[in-house]
Amino acid sequence: MTRAVITGVGVVSPFGVGTAAFWEGLSLGRSAVGPIRCFDAASFATRVAGEVPVTQISAAWMLDQLRLTRSVDDDRAIESLADSFSAWERSGAFRDRKLAFGLLAAHEAWQSAGAESLGGDAWLCLALGLEQALLEDFAPIFRERRIEWALEAEATLPRTRFRAPIDGCLQLVSDTLGLRGPRVVHSSACAAGALALAHAARLIERGDATLVVCGGADSMVNPLGVGGMSRLGAPSPRNEPDACRPFDRRRDGLVIGEGAAIFVLEAAERAIERGARPLARVLGWGSTQDGYKATAPRPDGSAAQRAIERAIERAGLSPGALGYINAHGTGTPLNDPAEVRAIRAALGASADRVPVSSIKGAVGHLMAAAGAIELAACLLAFERDLLPGTAHHQVIDPECDIDIIGEAPRALRVDSVLSNSFGFGGQNASVILGRYVGA
Amino acid sequence: MGPLEARVPIVGAGAVSAHGVAWRGLSHTLGSGVCAPEPATELTTSHPGTRAFQLTTLAEPSSMAERRARPLMSRSAVLASMATSAALQDAGWRAPLADVGFYLGVGASGGSVDQLGTMLAASLDAGEFSLERFGDRGLAACNPLFAFQLMNNFTLCNSAIVHGTEGPNAAFFSRGTGTLFALSEAVDALAENDCVRALAGGADSSVYAVTWAELMREGWAERGLVPGEGAALLALAHPTSSARALAFLDYVSVHSARRAAPTVALQSALDALSPPSIDAVVLSAWGPPARDPLAAVVARALRGRPLLDVANGLGESLAASPALAWTVGLDLLCSQDLGRVLIVSAGLDGDLGLVALSAGASP
Repeated sequence: MTRAVITGVGVVSPFGVGTAAFWEGLSLGRSAVGPIRCFDAASFATRVAGEVPVTQISAAWMLDQLRLTRSVDDDRAIESLADSFSAWERSGAFRDRKLAFGLLAAHEAWQSAGAESLGGDAWLCLALGLEQALLEDFAPIFRERRIEWALEAEATLPRTRFRAPIDGCLQLVSDTLGLRGPRVVHSSACAAGALALAHAARLIERGDATLVVCGGADSMVNPLGVGGMSRLGAPSPRNEPDACRPFDRRRDGLVIGEGAAIFVLEAAERAIERGARPLARVLGWGSTQDGYKATAPRPDGSAAQRAIERAIERAGLSPGALGYINAHGTGTPLNDPAEVRAIRAALGASADRVPVSSIKGAVGHLMAAAGAIELAACLLAFERDLLPGTAHHQVIDPECDIDIIGEAPRALRVDSVLSNSFGFGGQNASVILGRYVGA
Repeated sequence: MGPLEARVPIVGAGAVSAHGVAWRGLSHTLGSGVCAPEPATELTTSHPGTRAFQLTTLAEPSSMAERRARPLMSRSAVLASMATSAALQDAGWRAPLADVGFYLGVGASGGSVDQLGTMLAASLDAGEFSLERFGDRGLAACNPLFAFQLMNNFTLCNSAIVHGTEGPNAAFFSRGTGTLFALSEAVDALAENDCVRALAGGADSSVYAVTWAELMREGWAERGLVPGEGAALLALAHPTSSARALAFLDYVSVHSARRAAPTVALQSALDALSPPSIDAVVLSAWGPPARDPLAAVVARALRGRPLLDVANGLGESLAASPALAWTVGLDLLCSQDLGRVLIVSAGLDGDLGLVALSAGASP
């Protein structure tokens, strides 16, 4: 069977722009959560986030990042992108931060895969978060407690207004990379990033596509994103850098994060033929639905368990063969024990032997991009024989009685890793990556 | 994508449109040529005078679970749940439904405009949006459940929760072909034994103030787009199932407009599809600029075969449009003793979707 391999990766994270910054932050056991700076959150209940270190996105900043990460090293290409970025900036589109993050990560992934010469028939399969509400745009057309749409024509407003389009990032990435293949947007909340990669792998395995750019981009570090999540009671009430403490007995909620992780996937044979270096194989995946509640995961973790089991079965592995689990691990009181139950039930006796960690304490919850960035974190296991730690995990919780890696990363060589992504609304996805060991 | 390795039995369907909760008879209704858009009551305040293909009333919740979920639901989520009920009933699928996969094309967020207004009113200071007031008062002014209406994956999740489906699933944002990916993923999930039965379709509404304002601004309305809304789902069984099938799905493909013009892609696909086997074509295109060139290709390639343009009677319901067209194709197949129907969809994303349904006995 044709197996999909990852040959390129690009990341924008709270550690900065570029995969190197992300891997370095995790390798050193750092945390990038801090006070929100991209808008004044002083009156908000939630005031910390895993925020990408840029207050306002501009075309100039975008170009600087592409140069710094060497994602585009051709001056003529940079010039052409400058025009495009300036137009998007003028339109007000960069107020939706995920658009910029997805684009930067996609260019890094494309360049790192050496895909520039492969032509543009690649598919694009991205997990993108919700449209960003651009609330300030409503003020000029708001009268007597109502939105007066008839006033829109005469109001001075940016071209991208009221809400940024969900698929804006998709358009910008395909336009600037010159991709001509079909484009897909996964909208399955926190499970979307993992599902996008699984979808891409399936397209490769079935021969529908030869090259797929896939992954996720999201930012809810904006007034309605932070405020809405806060109203739901999901974020930790503590506005401290250690607000998110996955699997810790003192955990009290998540931290919102933002960023992107994009991959280039292709068939293993083709990658080798063209001299590309596979970073990992995509071995298996599974998805299920809790079908339980909008506001809470299924407490016994049984649906999540089935997603894990299906991923293991598809990968052709035994549960004991898993070397590491990158948990969804949101740091909320209900999610973490439910996930531990799912892992225990799916892995049986092997559950005590498999190290588990969550990177959400370090970078926050990237929502639609969470599954993607956590798969990028998993690549550390193959690239550096290092398993990421669980930032701010200090006090063991008897309800989470598995081998949780503490704050420091653990040096260990493993051959397969499983990443869980369990979405708001009960959508569960598990993906297994394997070390590439040659043909 | 393209011809399926094994035909997939369609054992039921559900459709919700301006013509009610039904897919049987829809092809006759649309073919009668008497459908006209009505004043859009959902847009009375925001865009008075707009005509649309809109449901006049939403069904009452069908269960206690749905009654509890309704405050969390956007209009699209309610439409999806209505179509899910109808599809499950049509397929004769009753609880437990833990093995049912669910793949859905969904639209953008569709939260209550009243809630948005309430939030904005509390967030303005001397006519300007104030972050401080928003954080302090604006958020507190609106119902916290408003957030669930904004999350578009809940168009799928609310239905899954209400009806208890627990199989593999994914929501795809769709302005046309995203709904085709929902169908192709369902087909692949069945083929690869991720599940033994699945629901696939789309749910959406362009009869929503924010969406309609966008469509007007982007020029779709003046090019002939008529707003619509709805939801439709096919109930698919495993290819080896012995369940009694209404018809079979045998072809699913998506053609990128960036690779070839839709007319060129359609002509190539028709060549590959062996036109003599196609008895009728259902065309779902957002408006005349998309419809007319595609209709011309069909007329040339399939001379004499009937072509049913469903947008004339359903309007453009974005993520729901392709799925509604599939159910019209299913109705044609079942009601007119045809052998094979091709459904062509062209949404706002510019890409082309092709689905073929065929008659035949179950294996």
